[in-house]
Amino acid sequence: MLRGPRLYVMAWRNLWRNRRRTIITVSSLAFGVMMAVVFTGLTDQSLGDAIDLAARMSNGHVTIQAHDYRDSPSLERTVDGNAELRARLASDRDVARVVPRISGQMVAATASDSFGAGFVALDPALDDQESFTPLGQIVEGKLFARDDAQGIVLGKVLAHNLGATVGKKVVYTMTDKHGEIVSGLGRVTGILATGSPSADAALCLLPIAAVRKLLGYGPDEVTQLAVYLRDQRVAEAAARRLGRVVPPGAVALDWAEVNPDLAGFVSVKVAGSEVIEAFVILLIAAGIFNTLFMSVMERLREFGILLAIGFSPGRLFRLVVWESLWLALVGLASGVVVTLPLYRWLHTHGIDMTSRVGGNKVEIAGAVMSMVVRATIYPDHAVVIALAIVGVTMLSGIYPAWRAARVQPVDAIKLGY
Amino acid sequence: MSDAVVVMEHVSKQYRQGATEVPALRDVSFTIERGEFAALCGPSGSGKTTALNLIGALDRPSSGIIRVEGRELGTLSRGELSVLRRDRIGFVFQAYNLVPVLTAYENAEIVLALQGAAAAARQKTVMHVLDEVGLGGMEQRRPDALSGGQQQRVAIARAVASQPAIILADEPTANVDSQTAEKLLDLMETLNRDKGATFLFSTHDPRVMARARRLLTMVDGRIAKDERRS
Repeated sequence: MLRGPRLYVMAWRNLWRNRRRTIITVSSLAFGVMMAVVFTGLTDQSLGDAIDLAARMSNGHVTIQAHDYRDSPSLERTVDGNAELRARLASDRDVARVVPRISGQMVAATASDSFGAGFVALDPALDDQESFTPLGQIVEGKLFARDDAQGIVLGKVLAHNLGATVGKKVVYTMTDKHGEIVSGLGRVTGILATGSPSADAALCLLPIAAVRKLLGYGPDEVTQLAVYLRDQRVAEAAARRLGRVVPPGAVALDWAEVNPDLAGFVSVKVAGSEVIEAFVILLIAAGIFNTLFMSVMERLREFGILLAIGFSPGRLFRLVVWESLWLALVGLASGVVVTLPLYRWLHTHGIDMTSRVGGNKVEIAGAVMSMVVRATIYPDHAVVIALAIVGVTMLSGIYPAWRAARVQPVDAIKLGY
Repeated sequence: MSDAVVVMEHVSKQYRQGATEVPALRDVSFTIERGEFAALCGPSGSGKTTALNLIGALDRPSSGIIRVEGRELGTLSRGELSVLRRDRIGFVFQAYNLVPVLTAYENAEIVLALQGAAAAARQKTVMHVLDEVGLGGMEQRRPDALSGGQQQRVAIARAVASQPAIILADEPTANVDSQTAEKLLDLMETLNRDKGATFLFSTHDPRVMARARRLLTMVDGRIAKDERRS
């Protein structure tokens, strides 16, 4: 059956009247999609990694601790991390794991030397390298067992400075809950190398049960409950929610509050990416505007004729808007086609920056980053890019469409005679 | 009783060219009755096309009144004029002016589609009209695949398909050869005679003037002679 013209059909055909110009515009749109997806993917992956790594190097995406711990960290400031509270926290939709920790400062000493260090006391049955990255970075020996009251794991540089090796004794001294100095005897079960100079020179791992006993803590008493989320991007909202279930005197802080250096770095990187993307989109918009405007100006006479035979100005406006929409959709589809192979390669293999940076790891605000740069875009960011491309293209078409609708038929028809 | 399709009463039109006003129409009055086959003729610049544009609601007069089927154009909004052009006026232009991205069928159908006619009714009407103008079998051709004469036939089909009150034809034979011009005139005469379509031409083509049953001769923006023929 013969079908009559619809605006979207006319617009589609109009788009291909100047095939070369349309192809050039579609190419610029596709390039814009590629740039935006790759930039955003690289940023999403690197910042997501940095935040996750920082969470796994410290006390989670959300940290439950005494309300005054952040301003004045002390082993005297604790929370009761009982099983009921942990279960309530773990039942939140975004929470993947809740782990009890005690962390603080101590002095480690051997027969040959002594050094100040930071310690993290953990339960080997509840923690693993997914929640605490250094557990996967033990390069000599192994992690102490849960019932090992004397086990201790030292950072590689600290062990070297102390002259400690696996099996050697280390005395650690700290201040207990009541402000008294207490000491414990440990025997080195493992040595870890994180790649972070600061961690390797000052990190000790201790069994949480032994530390509780040494510090005079109750059976569930901790300085932190480390909460790990399925997606770090919801940390702020999750912290707000979890803050409502913690006991009085405790607070739930997201990673940005616990690690403001990293939060500042992330903000600067995100802002920089947004400026670059806005600039790219602006350039694309200028190109699209030029195409649509030229296309309208070349057809003023035709628009006059359409008005003469009964097109309303509104219908002409919609015709040009349809042309913008088609241009956006074709550009977007082309963008997906050209971006997919590059994105998949960047996602799977990435770019190895080792030779440029001169090392295989770099520390950013406490997070040790890999030098292989990969791209993984969050689905909602991909949707935003798609909507931005379509939106910018449509906006670029508004003035040309308005111009088309403003045509005076008698003046337009005179053109070309 | 009079059945006036177009009434022009003391219509004048001036165009501004820089600081000066150039009169294109001066106090023009005439009436076109339903079923007429009339032509505005005269030399270039005499005001023929201006008069056609004013009747077609493509332009507004500087003074005077124009009525199409009793509706005074000066009182209508831009949107109402658009609807009037769509529903009651057909246009045939010198340069055909088909929509290049539409097929012959779609060009002929476009006004009916704009009017919101049902698809089945549109198809029946358009196929019939294209057949009448001698373009049966060429429905799917785009304008660039049609000769000048064929394009003008599509333009005529577009103009008559919606059965407007009047068809305004501005130099419809100017861009075609003599033989094609005669065929086009035969076609328009047939539509006038058999379908009762009202035609008003703007022309200085002697072939059109010879066929017109009423000849309004314009000189310097005025009607110099109004001649009716049997």
